[in-house]
Amino acid sequence: MALDRKVGFWEGVRYKGGGPMLAWALHRISGLGMIIFISLHVVASFFTQQMGSDWAIGINIIYESPYFQLFIVFAVLFHALNGMRIIILDLWPKMLRYQREMTWLQWLIFIPIYSLTIFIMIQRVMAGG
Amino acid sequence: MQVKLTIFRYDPENDKKPHFDKFTVEAEPTDRVLDLLEYIKDYKDGTLAYRRSCAHGVCGSDAMRINGVNRLACKVLVQDVGTTLKVEPILGLPVQRDLIVDMEPFFDHYKSVIPYFVGSEEMPQKEQLQSPEDRERFDDTTKCILCGACTTSCPSFWANGNYVGPAAIVNAHRFIFDSRDQAVVERLKILNDQFGVYRCHTIFNCTDACPREIQVTQAVGEVKKAIATARLD
Repeated sequence: MALDRKVGFWEGVRYKGGGPMLAWALHRISGLGMIIFISLHVVASFFTQQMGSDWAIGINIIYESPYFQLFIVFAVLFHALNGMRIIILDLWPKMLRYQREMTWLQWLIFIPIYSLTIFIMIQRVMAGG
Repeated sequence: MQVKLTIFRYDPENDKKPHFDKFTVEAEPTDRVLDLLEYIKDYKDGTLAYRRSCAHGVCGSDAMRINGVNRLACKVLVQDVGTTLKVEPILGLPVQRDLIVDMEPFFDHYKSVIPYFVGSEEMPQKEQLQSPEDRERFDDTTKCILCGACTTSCPSFWANGNYVGPAAIVNAHRFIFDSRDQAVVERLKILNDQFGVYRCHTIFNCTDACPREIQVTQAVGEVKKAIATARLD
């Protein structure tokens, strides 16, 4: 009998798809991350203001930590730029031939903006903000 | 040079679970991975099972996963993949034995997109001529050899085997953009299904895996656009 091969998460991750597959995986993770962040943020804000519950205040402390903010800026910025790249490729399929160059362009825009964000945040943390 | 191979093994009559066997063979840098498999089968373990036919990258029988990516064993040289190799069957299709998978689900998807020329109902009195520009429009997708490397490298196909997959879309593209074909609307309707082109998330594994260097993702993108705009630009 043939061996049924459902491709599980780890089996899929082991496929060496390279940069474009990584971009797709990051797009999914950042999208999911933003949904969880916004949902929890709304719920936590509600419970903080209405009841002052400790766990909600705890969640808000996590949100306000610089590390988490670096993650969320990464998620938003990456998701937006990668989404733009995919939209452009969908609208002009002939550009799909140049997807490698477009991925480089995406990182070329991403790196300075994200570096600036890190710089400003470190500056504020150092200033005690 | 010595090449170490780790090969996926599964014998449905004796094994409950698949396992990996290790072999070390003497090889030249210009040997193909298929040559190494042939050597193992001839001199080390005659029970090793894999498909091969032309052995020159035309028949598309020997698509397998070599060091983590889908390749044709007859087109990959040892010097390009190194001296430590892991060889597995392509993903997402049932394994019949060792490196042989059941290609039936793949061909069912292929057949579902009307992968043949549909001419006009009236019998033409002479050859149907086509300009070089019109022929050029679908030239890339005529090169498909149906090896399955693209479809089985696609995470959307792994997630749901009902997705027609890039190979079927490439073969639909070949006829959709043929100026003489009369079944364009039917094909676009088939691919507008929930398991049609929109399962493609522009991951590009298919384009990387294609041994014929077909711009698979571009072909899928062009079919998506044809469906969305109802125009064949």
